Amino acid sequence: MTEKPTMIAFQDVHKYYGDYHALRGITATIKAGEFFSLLGPSGCGKTTLLRTIAGFEGISSGAVMIDGRNMAGVPANQRPTNMVFQSYAIFPHLTVGENVGFGLRRAGLTKDALAARVGEALDMVGLKGYGARAAHALSGGQRQRVALARALILKPKVLLLDEPLSALDKKMREQMQVELIRLQRQVGITFILVTHDQEEALVMSDRIAVMFEGEIAQLADPETLYRRPNSRKVADFIGTMNFLPASILSETGGKLEVEAQGFGKVTLEAEQAPGAASGEGAAVGFRPETLTILFEGQTATDRESMATIEEVVYYGDMTYYDVRLDGTEKPIRISMRNVFGRPVLDIGARTRVAWSPGALVLFR
Amino acid sequence: MMNASSRWAKLRQTEAANGLLMISPTALYAILMLAAPLGTIVLYSFLTDGYLEIIRDFTLANYIEAWTNELYRSVMIRSLAVAMVVTLVTVLLAFPIAYFVSFYVAPSKKSLWLFLITIPFWTSYLIRVFLWKVILGYNGVVNSGLLGLGLIDEPLTFILYNVNSVVITLAHAYAPFAILPIFVALEKIDRSLLEAGQDLGESKFMTFRRVTLPLAMPGVIASVLIVFIPTIGDYVTPQLVGGPEGRMVANLIQLQYLKLDNYPLGSAIAVSAMGIVTLVSLIFIGLNRRYLKGPK
Repeated sequence: MTEKPTMIAFQDVHKYYGDYHALRGITATIKAGEFFSLLGPSGCGKTTLLRTIAGFEGISSGAVMIDGRNMAGVPANQRPTNMVFQSYAIFPHLTVGENVGFGLRRAGLTKDALAARVGEALDMVGLKGYGARAAHALSGGQRQRVALARALILKPKVLLLDEPLSALDKKMREQMQVELIRLQRQVGITFILVTHDQEEALVMSDRIAVMFEGEIAQLADPETLYRRPNSRKVADFIGTMNFLPASILSETGGKLEVEAQGFGKVTLEAEQAPGAASGEGAAVGFRPETLTILFEGQTATDRESMATIEEVVYYGDMTYYDVRLDGTEKPIRISMRNVFGRPVLDIGARTRVAWSPGALVLFR
Repeated sequence: MMNASSRWAKLRQTEAANGLLMISPTALYAILMLAAPLGTIVLYSFLTDGYLEIIRDFTLANYIEAWTNELYRSVMIRSLAVAMVVTLVTVLLAFPIAYFVSFYVAPSKKSLWLFLITIPFWTSYLIRVFLWKVILGYNGVVNSGLLGLGLIDEPLTFILYNVNSVVITLAHAYAPFAILPIFVALEKIDRSLLEAGQDLGESKFMTFRRVTLPLAMPGVIASVLIVFIPTIGDYVTPQLVGGPEGRMVANLIQLQYLKLDNYPLGSAIAVSAMGIVTLVSLIFIGLNRRYLKGPK
């Protein structure tokens, strides 16, 4: 696969609000045609960063480049970006069609050409025939689609989405996630999504930048981010991660010899320790689904440890077990898919647990 | 008997009965002090004027006189013109103030600004009108100031006791009434709509024209009506600063009633004026109805 050209480049971007340092040296590139997410808790600066692309927010130092052009001094209305606002910002005094065609006034189209373009855009988002409706009479999901059509009709180089799904209910949100992915593939425009929902980011993105306190903590594809988080903070923010204290015995030839509580001596590859030292002491981390409780007659394919079950949470399709590996102080969580005919274990039961060193991540 | 009293008790417990009970003092006041006199005036307007008494003969003569007499007609037209100019001036001046307070004043300071805007109400309307007389008069503040600066050789006379002074005084008096509804309408506008306007390629000015102004129109319409309806019937201002050529319809009605003792003709003029105000207001609302539909 050939490397895609760069669409957006942040070069050491800083932003101050008075004394408050909102963006602290953001340097990153976003490729053309990419579905990129800015993920982080509220107040981490992700929306501010998005708004620096749109031109609603100036920057204190550094540079924001779009398609090779420095955006310093370029007002929002002259940038090749369009935005889907969190509140959707549908003009309440206009019809759906007038909303969608709002940005085409300057294109100087004839009435028929305008109507055709608006019709196409509405068709694309699944709102065929809604043009004459009053915008204020729409449901949340429909507003979302109008906002998308209104932005995409201008064929921007970059579409910015500011928490577009946060106001929708769960079912609608999942449906819109799939539709957004489909839409992005169809139009091929660079999408930049701001979200605080890690699941949403994992589902939709080609790459994700995880942000904390005005900085990008990790920028990677979803799988790397989930499997090899480079800090405990990122690991905690994305999904659930168990931690057990460990000590590094030796580090030779790209391999790490580690003594981990509950697991004993294990050898890890260099890529299993992606993070820098945090000063909190070393620990191994692993996802709940990478451990398996062994039932009678099952054998481990790799390693096996003994454990005691301390808590059982039944979710229907899944059961979460909090178990304590022999030789450890605090329980870890294991998630097991429930299989027909297999019992749910009781609290206090002894069990064997299968694991594999390859699933461990070392945090220094 | 028993049955009737229990039904009465049941009725008293209903929502509607409670509602009526709550509004009854004001409803009583409105019926006795507004509806009854209004009805009397409408009745008078169809009766015949006699010497020192009103003859109970039905006639349309008062209306014919009110609508055909050149004097009455010109006063009515002047009243309409004055009210329209006052409305135009007031709303045009009020809009930037409301816009400033809504968009540029920090949220924590907005109530202070609104409070400052209503300060003129601390002084009685009569005194404020009288003060304009002091400001605009032959030896008033404006004239003595300009004379003192050597900008004029003799006092300006076109600024008092004519239509100009009526317009100035009324515009000043009604400014706060015009600012508040526009302010409320502007406050309701979701600021992300303005960002959306610019995001979709429009300049700040075009976003104002295509988004802000249409969404502020309900407030503007309310302001226009709030200023237009009372100013057309204003009595005090034209009486004090209008002079002979600044007389308006309220002064004419007062003249008919109290000086000429012609209740029926005064009533016919009053009813006609009310009809004209209603008609003009309805036409105005009708022309702007597209801004008033839908929630917002």
